[in-house]
Amino acid sequence: MKAEFKAKKLEILKMHIDVIREAFKQAFAPDRVTVEYPRERKKFPPNFRGLIFCEREKCISCFRCAHICPANAIQIYFHDKAWPGIDYTKCIFCHFCVDSCPTGALRATKIHDVAFATMDEMKLRATQTTKPPEVFREDSVTVDYSVDERGWSLVRVKERDELVVEAPPPRLKRRVSYCADPESCLGCRLCVEYCPSDAISVDRKANKLRILEEKCTGCGICVRNCPMKVLELREVR
Amino acid sequence: MNMLEFAMQVFRANMMDIPLINPIVEELMSVPWLNLVVALILWRPFFAVVVMPGLVVIMLYLLYIIWFERKLTARIQWRVGPLEVFRPLRGAIQALADGLRYFFQESIVHREAHRPYFVQLPILAFIPVLLPIALIPAGNVVGIKTPYAIPLFIALLSLIPITIIAIGWASNSRFAFIGSVREALMYVAYEIPFIIAAISMIYLYGSADPYVAVEKQTIPGALLNPVACLVFLISMLMATSRLPFEIPEADQEIAFGPFVEYSGMLFGLVMVLAYEKLYLMSLLFTILFLAGWSGPQLAVLGDINAPLWLVVKTLIVISILSIVRSMYARYRIDQALRFGFSWILAFSIIALAIGVVLGYEGGI
Repeated sequence: MKAEFKAKKLEILKMHIDVIREAFKQAFAPDRVTVEYPRERKKFPPNFRGLIFCEREKCISCFRCAHICPANAIQIYFHDKAWPGIDYTKCIFCHFCVDSCPTGALRATKIHDVAFATMDEMKLRATQTTKPPEVFREDSVTVDYSVDERGWSLVRVKERDELVVEAPPPRLKRRVSYCADPESCLGCRLCVEYCPSDAISVDRKANKLRILEEKCTGCGICVRNCPMKVLELREVR
Repeated sequence: MNMLEFAMQVFRANMMDIPLINPIVEELMSVPWLNLVVALILWRPFFAVVVMPGLVVIMLYLLYIIWFERKLTARIQWRVGPLEVFRPLRGAIQALADGLRYFFQESIVHREAHRPYFVQLPILAFIPVLLPIALIPAGNVVGIKTPYAIPLFIALLSLIPITIIAIGWASNSRFAFIGSVREALMYVAYEIPFIIAAISMIYLYGSADPYVAVEKQTIPGALLNPVACLVFLISMLMATSRLPFEIPEADQEIAFGPFVEYSGMLFGLVMVLAYEKLYLMSLLFTILFLAGWSGPQLAVLGDINAPLWLVVKTLIVISILSIVRSMYARYRIDQALRFGFSWILAFSIIALAIGVVLGYEGGI
C-alpha cells in the first residue's frame, strides 16, 4: 500500500516536470497554426470554389451554366450576346457552372471574402460578372500548411497569391451543329432564330439548312430547340 | 528664498552621481527654479521611491508585465494574444490603451456599496504598496536606511490582503464577499510559510539588513537554501493570486472576486494590486535569493548601476514566473489550504532548519 502511494507521488512529480518542459517548449517555439488573415492569406488550391468570374472573350452564350445551376442562381442578361449574371443570394458555390462551361469562360477565383451592402447588390448583373473582380488586398505573405510526421506547421512565403486562377482550357474537341436527317426537317426556322452567332441560314433554292462551320461556336442552342430533334453536334476533325 | 536655498543644500548633499548625464545636469543646475526640480529628482531618497525601484518603474513594469503575461499565455495556448494596438511591437502598448479606457470610463458606485470605503479603499491600497519601496535599498540609492528593512518590508506587505478584504466588504455583493473570504483563507495559508522562509534567510545571513544579505551572497541565496527559495516562490504565487492558487479572484466562478463591483478607473487601480504585490515580493526575492543589486558595474552609469541590476533581476524573475499561469489549473480551496498547511509549512520549517544550521554563529 505504502509503496503504491510512493510510486504515485513519483508519477505526479514526473507529470509536473513534463508540463513545465512542454510549457517552456511552447513558449519558445509554439506549434500554433494561426493565420493572421487580413495581413496573411492562406494558399488555397487552384480548384478552390470562390467567387465566379466570366471571361467575356471566351463566352459563347450557350446557356449551359444557367441550365445546370441547381440553385437557379444564374440569370442570362441579353446585351449584344447573352451573358450570365450570378445571383449570390441563391448561389451555393457548387461550381457546376464552371465545370459545365465548354470553353472555360467561367472561371473559379480564390476570393472568399466578399461583402455586399444590400440584398439587391448581391444579384450581380452580366456587366459585373464579366469584369475581373476588384479586391482590396492587405496581405503581403502567403501561408501554406505543411504536414509531416511531427505534425502541422506553417510555411510563410513573402509573395502574393494570384486570386484569379488561370485554368487550363477544357479538353474538348471543337464541335459544330449539323443536320443529321434533312428529310425530317419541318422548315420551322427556329434554329435560325435562336442562333446567337448567325451561323444558320436557309438555302431557299436547295430548300435545306446551311450551317457555316467557321461561324458556329458549338453552343448547342439550336440542337436543344429543334422540335424534330434532327440537329446534332458533330466533332470537327 | 532662504528656505529654498536650504532645500537645495539638502538635495545637493545627497545627489545621484551618473557620469553619463552629468553634462546635462550641470547645464540644468545653472537654470533658476528648474535646478531645484532636477536636484529633487536626483536626490537619492526621492530617486529610490519615485523613480528607479519606485513609482515610475512600477508603472513601466505594469505596462510590460500585463502585455508580456497575456502574450506568453497566448503563445503557449496556441493563440496570438493582443496584437492590434501598435502592431510593430505586436500589441505592446495594449495595457496603456486599456488604462486610457479605464480612465475615461464611468466609475459606477452601486446603491448597496458602502460609498466612502468603496471609493477610498482602492486608493488607500496604494499605501502598503508604495511604503515598502522606501525601505528597499539598491546600492546607495535608498529611501529609509534601516537594519530592520526586511522584517518591516514583510510587515507592510502583509497589509495588502487586509485592504483587499476591506474592498470586498465595502462592495457588499455576494461575489465580492465570497472573494474576500477566500482571500482571508489564502492569507492564512501562505503568510506563515512565507514569513518563515524569509526568517530562515535572515538567520542564514545573520542580519535583517539587506546590505548584509547582499554582501554575504557570493553564492546566491537560492543555492544556499533551495528549500526556502521554493517555499518563497510558491507562497509568492499564492499571495499574488496567480493561477494554481487563483482562488480569491477566480474569474470563472466569482468573476474577479473582491473587485467584481468595480468599474472605470477604480477597477484599473484594484486590478493592478496583485501585479504590484508581485513586483514587491519579487524585489524581496531578488535581494534574499539572487544577490540583489550586485552585478558587473558600468562606470558610465555610476550610481544608477545598482537599481538597474535590481530591477532587471526582478523583471527576469517575474517573467519566468508568469509562465506558471498557462501551465496549471486552479486548486480547490481545501486543496490549497491543505497544501499550504502541510507541504509548504513543512518545507518552510526544513528551510528554517537549514538557515539556522548554515547561519550558526553570526551567519556565513
